[in-house]
Amino acid sequence: MPNAPTHPPSLKLVQSDNPQLKDAPVISLKDFSAYYGENCILSDIHLSIPSKGVTCLIGPSGAGKSTLLRTLNRIHENAGESHFTGEINILGRDLVSGFPDVTELRRRVGMVFQTPCVFPMSIADNVTFGLRGTKLSKGERRDIVAKSLKSAALWDEVSRRLDQSAMSLSLGQQQRLCIARALAMSPEILLLDEPTASVDPISARAIEDLLTSLSKEITIIMVTHNIGQTKRIADHVAFICDGHIVESGEKHRMFSKHSSDKTRTYLTEEFCDC
Amino acid sequence: MRKPYTSRRALSETIFATAIRAALFLCAAILLFLIGTILWKGGQAVNLSFLFSPASDFGKSGGILYQLLGSLLIALTAALLVLPAAVGTAIFRHSYQRAGKAQEALDVSLYALNAIPSVTYGIFGLIFFVNILGTGISWLVGSIILAIMMLPTVTLACVQSLQAIPPNYFENAFALGMTRGEVVRRVALPQSAHGIVTGLLIALARAIGETAPIMFIATAFSGVTLPQSPFEPVSTLPTHILALAQQSTDPRALENAWGASLTLVMLAALFSLLAYGARLYLNKMRYK
Repeated sequence: MPNAPTHPPSLKLVQSDNPQLKDAPVISLKDFSAYYGENCILSDIHLSIPSKGVTCLIGPSGAGKSTLLRTLNRIHENAGESHFTGEINILGRDLVSGFPDVTELRRRVGMVFQTPCVFPMSIADNVTFGLRGTKLSKGERRDIVAKSLKSAALWDEVSRRLDQSAMSLSLGQQQRLCIARALAMSPEILLLDEPTASVDPISARAIEDLLTSLSKEITIIMVTHNIGQTKRIADHVAFICDGHIVESGEKHRMFSKHSSDKTRTYLTEEFCDC
Repeated sequence: MRKPYTSRRALSETIFATAIRAALFLCAAILLFLIGTILWKGGQAVNLSFLFSPASDFGKSGGILYQLLGSLLIALTAALLVLPAAVGTAIFRHSYQRAGKAQEALDVSLYALNAIPSVTYGIFGLIFFVNILGTGISWLVGSIILAIMMLPTVTLACVQSLQAIPPNYFENAFALGMTRGEVVRRVALPQSAHGIVTGLLIALARAIGETAPIMFIATAFSGVTLPQSPFEPVSTLPTHILALAQQSTDPRALENAWGASLTLVMLAALFSLLAYGARLYLNKMRYK
């Protein structure tokens, strides 16, 4: 039997006051625990994430934020020893039984990782890399490339060199290309694991602006260590520490009326002793 | 009185550097002597007429046309046979097999296969194909045995090439909703092509010079022309050199043996150069 942490379970639900975000949650987790082999990474998580907007998962390193994010499009299954218990409902279906074909889930729930990863091919080919199996005419392909790059705020910078290698782009541009590649699949949810951690501050701001703009159309869930970034772009925040959700809620409430001392310490001093 | 520590360190460093330079010089000298001798002796025999005319008088006169064609035929067929098996095994190991005892067993088997003496492959081919299956002596059987012999080298080259692909390529492809098969076709194979081709050509360079595995099962020593079917024997350069060396008291036979040796070395060098060129080209294409 895996060794679960001894902390009491957190039972907090995110509920938004924003009318636009008050719809049924697009993701809900009940009694969710995640394990890597025998080690319990996350324990008794209860969380609802509303449709649209940006939800930031914050917390110290090793808290389990990335594990939670990776579970949401089942990319954790690639690491053989990862598994979870509890219920996850996503896009109105159970995460596992509702998506017998995991590829359908991953197309609807896109993911962008911390380190930009472009494939050694042209910028345009990178954007359409995931659109396999669909025979696209040249015109359709061009439209998808343009639309995705515009959505990722990269069109103006690369429109004249779409056939050039994506490896020639700066790291910040590569990360936006990764976002464009995910957007080309028309996802309903976009998961981002510290998307600005490896890019310079100017590129980070460009990505933040891009996410704010995208959040009007799709649900964005982002792991970040950057409290300033959370303040700037989040609509909702969940503070995770030592495998538990300490507190979660709307950004303004989290930053002004937080109920936990741990949350206050982390948000003000970026330090956590949990 | 003991010398200062730094002096002793400097002395041991000098001794070590001299020793490794001497080792390098010894290797280079042996290699240069061998290649120089083959070039010097073989150069006197090799010309266009030697390369493109058939042997006569048990190889003592004439050229090596059918031996050259036989060697290429047997080695290239072996390459065609080994490629799908090696790539398939490497992809299974990398993308489908979970790390564990079975994977360790596969790795150990591949290294063990690599260590088997080549004559053992020949004996196996003789017993299994020629005696038990009754295939007779043919270049197809020779190619199959050479392919089995090349399998571990090519497979290990493919495995190493697959392992060199950054893991985040796979993670990103899976995150885009690709199936395992699509990830293999669109990420693993294109990204490892340079390693696969290089491994294959290096294995070919080695296989084309092998005598022991094919001399019992695929080749005839004289009187062979171009085979009309895969079930006929061929004559190859290594077995031709062996036959000529057995007549070394005759200077004509010896001269032709040196000529055939030079041709064989040049063929092996050609495959190695192709491997180098293919690696450069495919690496360039990979990051284009």
